[in-house]
Amino acid sequence: MGLLNFTREPVPEAVSADMHNLNQLSAQQFSALTEVLFRFLTEPKEVERFLTQLSDFAAMNKISLGPLKNIVKSILLVPNGALKRNLSSEQVRADFIALGLSEEKASYFAEQWKVNSPTLTRLAVGQTLMINQLIDMEWKFGVTAGSSELEKVGSIFLQLKLVVKKGSQLENVYVELTLPQFYSFLHEMERVKTSLESFS
Amino acid sequence: MAALRDGDFAALQILLKAPSKDAVRQLCQECFSSPPAALGPLAQRACPGLAVSAEEAEKLVSALHNLTRHVVYRGLTGAEDILRLFPENFHQNLKNLLTKIILENISSWRNEAQASQISLPRLVDMDWRVDIKTSSDSIVRMAVPTCLLQLKIQEDAALCGNNPVVSALTVELSKETLDTMLEGLGRIRDQLSAVANK
Repeated sequence: MGLLNFTREPVPEAVSADMHNLNQLSAQQFSALTEVLFRFLTEPKEVERFLTQLSDFAAMNKISLGPLKNIVKSILLVPNGALKRNLSSEQVRADFIALGLSEEKASYFAEQWKVNSPTLTRLAVGQTLMINQLIDMEWKFGVTAGSSELEKVGSIFLQLKLVVKKGSQLENVYVELTLPQFYSFLHEMERVKTSLESFS
Repeated sequence: MAALRDGDFAALQILLKAPSKDAVRQLCQECFSSPPAALGPLAQRACPGLAVSAEEAEKLVSALHNLTRHVVYRGLTGAEDILRLFPENFHQNLKNLLTKIILENISSWRNEAQASQISLPRLVDMDWRVDIKTSSDSIVRMAVPTCLLQLKIQEDAALCGNNPVVSALTVELSKETLDTMLEGLGRIRDQLSAVANK
């Protein structure tokens, strides 16, 4: 096997056999299986649903579930590696062919890859490490009517509640701002937006 | 907040023993700014200057504290309003001097009261930085801009006395989060203008 695009490590031996088995599927069956796979890849949290769809596929096509799962494991190696390395659909196609999949099926899969890659890339970026990610911001503002030191006040206050993800927990941070601080905060955030946009 | 008590004006007359007008001025400012708990030590410091007993100094300091805080509380701004607080037989010159000193300080005292109001932790500073993420374990090559925002937050001043605790919180915002945040901030600004224009 020549150099693969999606990985630098040696591929498990079972993969060739799995690709050979895949080639035995009809075009229709392969297309149905591919659909199930991409639905899972674009919604990785739906594990239950994925497993159900796989066993439905196995039942409908009279394939045993065990071997099917192994085949699926082998197939998934390629898109996972491809996503990490920003591979093009030609590279994905070439890799499948190198692994032993038929040209027809490899081209079909590569097409589906092209269609789904924006969604998949966005997902991968979303999984990238974020420190103290800001999840939510709630706010309220009002007027201080009076206090124990001042009978009549009439000043405006603004309170923000920031929900921050620290590790796996959410933490609430409460902050109070005066009006001038609010305007300056707004101004700074608009500058950040301009900066972020110039880099997008 | 301290309310004016009957004995207060009698105690204020002790000020007639003060060495100078500036001494009275100084004492007024210290008595206003001091929290009730710190009045005792303040009285002790004032004792020698006034040549009075510790007990009398305490009564005076307490009275001055009550008077100044009362004026600020009620928001009195005119000389007439302040003069009216004093009883009929109060020493005329002292009354005028105290009124003058209070009027000089009223707006800075009001600001002081507002600044030391109870509140949620306050924002004291904010800094930001924009980074470009070029690589991670989930994607080997990318160019994703992200914002790091550092907020310096000070705990309630009243609880910390002279050593306010300032904590720094650094949060990361993606472009989407920032856009949503700006939408919220924009809504606040719109509502603030609506309130201001009423």
